[in-house]
Amino acid sequence: MQTLHNKLIFFLEGDLPEKEMELVKNHLLECSTCAAFVEEMKKTLGILEAERSPAVNPFFYTRLKAKLENKESESKQVFWKPVLVRVLQPAIFSILLMIGIYAGIKIGQPAPAQSINISAANIDIISFLNEMDSESIEGFLME
Amino acid sequence: MSETEIIQKLQKGNEQAFRELVENYKKMVVNTCFGMVHNTEDAEDIAQEVFIEVFRSINNFRADSKLSTWLYRMAVNRSLNFIRDHKRNKWFQSFEDSVRSKNALHENLINRNTDHPEYILENTQRATLLHEAIDSLAENQKVAFTLSKYEELSYQEISKVMDVSVSSVESLLHRAKKNLQKKLYVCYKKKCI
Repeated sequence: MQTLHNKLIFFLEGDLPEKEMELVKNHLLECSTCAAFVEEMKKTLGILEAERSPAVNPFFYTRLKAKLENKESESKQVFWKPVLVRVLQPAIFSILLMIGIYAGIKIGQPAPAQSINISAANIDIISFLNEMDSESIEGFLME
Repeated sequence: MSETEIIQKLQKGNEQAFRELVENYKKMVVNTCFGMVHNTEDAEDIAQEVFIEVFRSINNFRADSKLSTWLYRMAVNRSLNFIRDHKRNKWFQSFEDSVRSKNALHENLINRNTDHPEYILENTQRATLLHEAIDSLAENQKVAFTLSKYEELSYQEISKVMDVSVSSVESLLHRAKKNLQKKLYVCYKKKCI
């Protein structure tokens, strides 16, 4: 019975030899489970017939023509794309990177030493700021 | 215009010949693509790509095979590529897109018969079940089954399109039907419908 069960779809499709078709037919009269499954399968496979040859959009050719024209214009633009992507883009990025590195180095550098006489200037400042030399705190408190 | 005439004129870039080619074969190409992808809009998009490819590569067409065989082959290959891309992009597809594609299928069935809602619902469920069962088949079994069932091609015609022997087509169709029965039986047992 298992072998007959496996052949139910072929029975529905009429793919079995006459003898086997007869055997399956007789089996279906006896086995209600198989008969119900065959009925279900028949309905499900019947969907294929309903789906066959769907209505094609009446503007199919118009849309196709528009798509074809778009693709042609795109292919003309595409000619410039590799030049832009492979040459100009890396060149611009490299230049920007170099500018960035140069700016970073410049900013990071210490300010250049000035050529004025620092020692003399320092002494003046120290003497001006260090008032303790001319007026000691002890002297101030003793007054 | 005969097939040979269309090809000759098309090779010279005649637009009228291209129009005639599209009008003559659009139903066949859309139907084949529909059998593979189960969505009318997608099938039409793929069919358009097929005709664009024909327009561009008509000079490569060898007269040793029929134009219809060439078109079937392109339709099948384009559909398989579409399915592969679609599978890859499925993770990035939004929920709305998947709902939209299901609705398109349902609308397609509803438009056929609006008088019996229960009949529509049952048919929709059956169609979904059948499509899932067909999609679960191995690629070559699916192609052979689609060409046989949607286009009603003979074993010989299928063998030419798939570039395999007739006995291979027989074997592919046998296995496809057996696998389909298995899938449908599992669903029948679980009472999917």
